[in-house]
Amino acid sequence: MAAKKSASKKSASKKSSPKRGDDGRYPETKILSALFDVKDGWKLAVAKKHGAYKNLEKALKSMSPAEVIDEVKTSRVRGRGGAGFPTGVKWSFVPTETDKPKYLVLNADESEPGTFKDRWLMELDPHLVLEGCLLCAYATGVSTIYIYVRGEYPLSQERLWGAIHEARKAGLLGDKIMGTDFSCEAYVHTGAGAYICGEETGMLESLEGKRGHPRIKPPFPAVEGAFGCPTVINNVETLAHVPSIIEHGGQWFADMGIAPDPDNPRALGSSGTKLMGLSGDIKTPGCWEFEFGITVRELIEQYGGGALEGRTIKAVIPGGLSMPVLTADELDVPMGFDALVKVGSGLGTGTAIVMDDACDMVEACENIAHFFADESCGQCTPCREGCHWMEKIFTRIKAGDGTPADLDLLERLFINIEGRTICALADAAVWPLRSILRKFRHEFLAKMPGHTDPHEKDPHAEDPKASSEPAAVGAN
Amino acid sequence: MSNGKITIDGQVLDIVPGKTVIQIANDAGIGVQHYCYHPGLSIAGNCRICQVEVEGWDRPQISCKLQPSDGMVVHTQSEFAKDAREGTMEMLLVNHPLDCPICDQAGECHLQDYSYEVGQGAASSPTAKTNLPKNVPFGSKIVYDAERCIKCTLCVRFCEEVTETNELAMAGRSDHEIVIMTSQGEFETPYSMNIIDLCPVGALTSRDFRFKSRLWFMDFAESVCTGCARGCNVMTGGRDGSFLRMEPRENQAVNKWWMCDAGRLGYKAANVASRLEAPLVRNADGALVQVNWERAISAAGAALKGAPGDVLIDGGATLEEMALANDLAAAMGGKAKYAAATGEGDDFLVVAEKGANAAGAELLGLPRAKKASAASVVIVERGQHITASMRDKSGAVVVFAMDGEHVPDSAQVVFPLPSSAERNGLLVNCDGIVQAISSNTAIGPNNLADPIELIEDILGELDDGYDWRGRDGVLASIRALPAFAKVDFPAGYEAAGVGAGS
Repeated sequence: MAAKKSASKKSASKKSSPKRGDDGRYPETKILSALFDVKDGWKLAVAKKHGAYKNLEKALKSMSPAEVIDEVKTSRVRGRGGAGFPTGVKWSFVPTETDKPKYLVLNADESEPGTFKDRWLMELDPHLVLEGCLLCAYATGVSTIYIYVRGEYPLSQERLWGAIHEARKAGLLGDKIMGTDFSCEAYVHTGAGAYICGEETGMLESLEGKRGHPRIKPPFPAVEGAFGCPTVINNVETLAHVPSIIEHGGQWFADMGIAPDPDNPRALGSSGTKLMGLSGDIKTPGCWEFEFGITVRELIEQYGGGALEGRTIKAVIPGGLSMPVLTADELDVPMGFDALVKVGSGLGTGTAIVMDDACDMVEACENIAHFFADESCGQCTPCREGCHWMEKIFTRIKAGDGTPADLDLLERLFINIEGRTICALADAAVWPLRSILRKFRHEFLAKMPGHTDPHEKDPHAEDPKASSEPAAVGAN
Repeated sequence: MSNGKITIDGQVLDIVPGKTVIQIANDAGIGVQHYCYHPGLSIAGNCRICQVEVEGWDRPQISCKLQPSDGMVVHTQSEFAKDAREGTMEMLLVNHPLDCPICDQAGECHLQDYSYEVGQGAASSPTAKTNLPKNVPFGSKIVYDAERCIKCTLCVRFCEEVTETNELAMAGRSDHEIVIMTSQGEFETPYSMNIIDLCPVGALTSRDFRFKSRLWFMDFAESVCTGCARGCNVMTGGRDGSFLRMEPRENQAVNKWWMCDAGRLGYKAANVASRLEAPLVRNADGALVQVNWERAISAAGAALKGAPGDVLIDGGATLEEMALANDLAAAMGGKAKYAAATGEGDDFLVVAEKGANAAGAELLGLPRAKKASAASVVIVERGQHITASMRDKSGAVVVFAMDGEHVPDSAQVVFPLPSSAERNGLLVNCDGIVQAISSNTAIGPNNLADPIELIEDILGELDDGYDWRGRDGVLASIRALPAFAKVDFPAGYEAAGVGAGS
């Protein structure tokens, strides 16, 4: 379905990124979002008309599981939940020889602030999500799929359950799918509103009926995940890409977007398309699908409608809340995994939050710190105690009771929180706060009348280690 | 076959499969600070105080979870490692009430100890502390203080993994996270008080012990619980004659790190108001009056001489005492027998056999008294083994007892018996393991005579040719018995040159 519509684009997309139009406008590429505008596209009958499940049939009837994994590896598709791990590689970690059952847990706990792309997929094209899950299940030998949906997404849950029932009735789910030897069941499991349950092992604990405390690794979920069994965990958007990869081949997908940097083994490229979203201080918030290559500024100006009347954009957090901030001067960078890391931030979930000149950065920090303090699971000392401590300091600065020593204290807390915990929530808390503190230090000092900055130049500004490796915490 | 080497603080150490860096370091005597790590529980990795530096890694690593690899170089005392731990200490203390002056844990608190080692002198922030529930009852025996709690989850994991009763859980998030009981009322497990010992800080305190004494005014001694035949290894703690608390002591062969609540609270028998503190002799008016030791010993000799009779000894008495009871009975032409209660056991530590040295009595060949019978001498410790009816029907004329309530009307001479926390000697547990109890001088009345000496003195009264052997001599004669040929005795007793060859 989705891919069918895009078939015409197949030959044109051999280049590394699509041409801007004559007006300089970066075009949308509707692969995942092909059914978003189709009436009742979430119903099986409509979705089937647009090609739903034909790629599943192709895989089940003409490809071995290993061939499916190979296509996904060739596509170089990276996880869309925030960490950007190569999906095919992740699948190949799942042991083939095991007498335990294997599970696929679809991470639909989309709780990263500012992120709403997976909701669109689940609400508007649940069969695409389910088909992606089944392809993954076939490739990795999974017989049970759990779709862990955020508790705040009732419509997503309803649509996914609906899709599951429809698919089961149509023989697309359950025993001997499409008459083949492949059998698989799927269930929707609802979260209860905790950010940390989007961390993959916190989600597994929650799925097992326990408190959502992230697990200490190793063992990794691929070996010992849900109920102690090998488990694949993928983001909704990631698996939604798989049907079109199977239809057109991995190379077709790899040819889209931004190629890997041959000189940098860590720059794995940003292939394919991505649902990108915008929220915050712009005229038209929303979610669109692009081939990788659009810059942050293009996204804001061409699709977000630019700044609100009479305002100017001050800062953008490019991928959910937990990424370092970009200033207005840094927006000509492509929304891509490696490009954003290069400028000290990260793609995260690919949904940006825009802040304009009416935004008080101290208040923004207080707000961000409050979120992470509230959502810290309480397990590890630095995050449990540190996040709320940071919030208290920002509150004090906002009230006019701060001193420059507080800024030094914050820098020290950043060091003692980042990378010192079981999961990446602590990192996610530090990255936006540290980048705002460094890039907008003058706003903090402005709230400290009578104090002068003891550091003529920010001593940390040149620190090359700072925020060099963003990974993700939210949905993965 | 070698599993490779790891270097910790300059020491090159063998990698042991299944052991993480903290265990290898601890085995080598390199103490790594830890709160949430416990060798008997799963690894949680949440406290972050065991962070160390690994050469070539840019982030500090928690040594409790760190798998060693060949050639790994670890520093526990580098600036980097110390900074990481100092940062963790600061986090742990930012919301801690710092109420050490009124905290029972003071003196044995890891938070205090590590704060002294790596903490900072001054607070870095005038931040208001987060307030949490205090004085929360966890059942009737334990009190929880969420502000002192460092959320290491040792107590939760104990109830999940050791007792599998799941009474505790974490609740709340962030710095409002606390430990809660999953249901109202009492712990299901009879081992709940172990979480007090596990708690590295003063968050879990014993309702029984709290506010009784500062630790540094107490004396401690290594001993064995006599509540049942398991013989859990314990540390006794006392002050000014009072037995204040008993805590388990690690012994992997017997009780690992744990003990049951009933055994732990069984110490109270030593503190009863009716505790005997001096020898007594019945006068012409029929009243028991205090006399000196010599008078009591000669009165006992006179009462026992020429009258054949048995000796009934407590199943919690030591091997040495039982052996001498045998000799005493032989001198009177009678038999020695022991009495021990049985009760409920479980599948963990508590066994149905309650006589702490019943196995020792069997090895010595003492028959078990199943019902009341005549005996000239009764040696009764806590009263649960030699019951009131056994005491009263014995017609005993010489009685050794801790508690005045346990003295039968027939007694002519009464010797005060020190409690098991006040005596030395050996016990054989349910698995045939010989263990030593040792005297804590801060517990019990002053100047109580050792029953070993008393029995030997009475033997001297009965037999002019009696050769005093002392504890070592008694032990040597025990070890010479065929039944003890293959029994291992505790190392300390070997080292003292007691037994074989003497």
